[in-house]
Amino acid sequence: MLEIRWHSRAGQGAVTGAKGLADVVSTTGKHVQAFAFYGSAKRGAAMTAYNRVDDKVVMNHEKFMRPDYVLVIDPALVYVADITANEKDNTIYIVTTHMSTEELIASQPKLAGKKVYTVDCIKIAQETIGKAIPNTPMLGALMKVSDMYDIEFFKESMFKVLKKLPQKIIDANMIAIQRAYDEVK
Amino acid sequence: MADTIELRDIEVWDGNMAASHALRQVQVDVVAAYPITPSTPIVEGYAGFKANGYVDGEFVMTESEHGAMSCCIGAAAAGGRVATATSSQGFALMLETLYSASGMRLPIVLNLVNRAIGAPLNVNGDHSDMYMGRDSGWIQFGAYSPQEAYDLNFIAFKVSEDHDVRLPAIVNQDGFMTSHTAQGVHTLSDEAAFNFVGEYKPMNDMLDLDHPVTHGVQTEEDWHFEHKARQQHALMTAVIPKIEAAFDEFEKLTGRKYNIVESYSMDDAEVAVICMGTSVETAREVAEEMRANGVKAGVVGIRVFRPWPLEQIAAVLKNVKAVGLLDRSSPHGAMGALYNEVAGSLFNTDTKAVLTNYIYGLGGRDLTKAHLVSIFTELKANADAGKPTTPLQQYIGLRGPKLSFF
Amino acid sequence: MEKKGWDGFEIGAMLRTFDGAVQDIATTLPENRPYSQSSSFTASVADWRIEKPLFNKDYCIDCQFCWIYCPDMSIISRDKKMVGIDFDHCKGCGICVQVCPTNPKSLLMFPEQKDEEAALAEWPKKEKKDQSEEPKED
Repeated sequence: MLEIRWHSRAGQGAVTGAKGLADVVSTTGKHVQAFAFYGSAKRGAAMTAYNRVDDKVVMNHEKFMRPDYVLVIDPALVYVADITANEKDNTIYIVTTHMSTEELIASQPKLAGKKVYTVDCIKIAQETIGKAIPNTPMLGALMKVSDMYDIEFFKESMFKVLKKLPQKIIDANMIAIQRAYDEVK
Repeated sequence: MADTIELRDIEVWDGNMAASHALRQVQVDVVAAYPITPSTPIVEGYAGFKANGYVDGEFVMTESEHGAMSCCIGAAAAGGRVATATSSQGFALMLETLYSASGMRLPIVLNLVNRAIGAPLNVNGDHSDMYMGRDSGWIQFGAYSPQEAYDLNFIAFKVSEDHDVRLPAIVNQDGFMTSHTAQGVHTLSDEAAFNFVGEYKPMNDMLDLDHPVTHGVQTEEDWHFEHKARQQHALMTAVIPKIEAAFDEFEKLTGRKYNIVESYSMDDAEVAVICMGTSVETAREVAEEMRANGVKAGVVGIRVFRPWPLEQIAAVLKNVKAVGLLDRSSPHGAMGALYNEVAGSLFNTDTKAVLTNYIYGLGGRDLTKAHLVSIFTELKANADAGKPTTPLQQYIGLRGPKLSFF
Repeated sequence: MEKKGWDGFEIGAMLRTFDGAVQDIATTLPENRPYSQSSSFTASVADWRIEKPLFNKDYCIDCQFCWIYCPDMSIISRDKKMVGIDFDHCKGCGICVQVCPTNPKSLLMFPEQKDEEAALAEWPKKEKKDQSEEPKED
């Protein structure tokens, strides 16, 4: 069982990202689950989304999770959300930030000693898609860090997931995924 | 003729998306709705399919849930295949008309996306609305996952519209935990799905102008009792065999087997929990872990909540020593409904299992695997002692001092 | 109506108007329609009456007001000509008399036991209208 927790702001696309990832993973024969914590949240409020991936049908419906990966797609949530909640010894963090990994850890000491990767998904999204929607680039970074799928296969699969969007937007997303894959450190 | 959609064998759908595709595939004639969280995407989905030519039907946006179900009743009496969806406060507002639908013997399928009922206002999942409708005369199915929310819609239409049944049916799914949780759903082709349910066969429909009928008549003490008795007779005798036949046919079509009462690891179980919704699947996983630790644990899931499967429940619990009844609704002044109904099912049998009641998960509060481990552990102690070692009703997952009764 | 047991009637809170299939029901006269036992057409409410309306065709102008206003469809009219009263369904409410515009009225209320010929024999004559009852223009 692979478990992923997303930290996002409502409107940044964490739910779409989690469902898109589930869609891609499902095509490889694995069983998936994607859900989020909802409430009367407004756009901009901190929220979390989740993925579970397993070789057998996912029957666990508890919201409680000890994540293998924590994906933070908004830079400020490192300081205001409890991103290390219920972590495991080997939980891997991928954080959207303009800082280097060292600078990030210096600014948020509770990440010290953990496996932390950084990538500026906000900037990548702004420069490619034209909006600060950092969900698809984060998936590119996850592919690099986790080595889950070959990046070409992943982009091909995401292309199908996004197929209802205008061609220009799809192309920009593909570039964003590749850039995050290349730039995550 | 509506356009078809080529679905993949496995689609990653949440429960709402699954239900809306089922409504499209059976080509529902009329959906009248007043959308409410978390059920909104079901009727929104149907309206989208209709707007884009994927269904030949009508979507009626009403002024309230009371109006929505009233419109469904009118459309069903006229002779159409009818469905809607609601949740929580919306279901509460619909309640009066639910009794009309069942008393008028109109087949309507209601997707009830289970949500807490305020106050305090809350959009998350518990079974308060499901419990509120339990005496309304509707057949009630329970889905534990998006796959089941999809499958049970087909079963619901088939059974509800059967001329020996002619009773409306509710398909329950957990708000958010199923409705907004995407998982793999094995799909049916549009053709296979439609053929499973078949063309709608009208009965006593108002649009049969050669046989004029008056629907919604008034009766007083001279006739009312006979009408209600006839309704109860159908619900108690016709429905379960028809559901079983539909389950069998569905298994032949899909390989997916459903049962009136679902039992997991119950053959040699010493202790068992009985619950509904997504909790059943989480409990199954925990039961397997308990077995690895030497506790003979099992899980019973209620698939058909109404009509209540009294005999099937008694049969599956025959050799169990301790049972935990998990109610996801505040019983407000009584033991939980599952406790009372299971106790009633066992009382005249030789089974003398220790029964205890757990109230959990109100307003979407998480039911964790750790909670279930502690429940199974308490049940084991009850089984060993041969009597309750805990209060009869306990709240779990609650902050503050331990709350229990009796 | 015979009261059947719980298993003896059709399901649903539903009643059929006619026995069997009907066609062109709008052009079939009520007395020729196959009304079912559950239709109120087959039930008589004659014994509800204390007073009954009687019809004097000498004064009737076939305006159809009585036919329109009768709440129980008890005015029998054929080809827009007033024929008489359906005494199986008339409850004696007197609305037909109230709305009758002729002078004297073509419909008047009499005690239920009143002989029709005697009633016609004593039918009032045309009244001279009082000046004060002339319609006012305003």
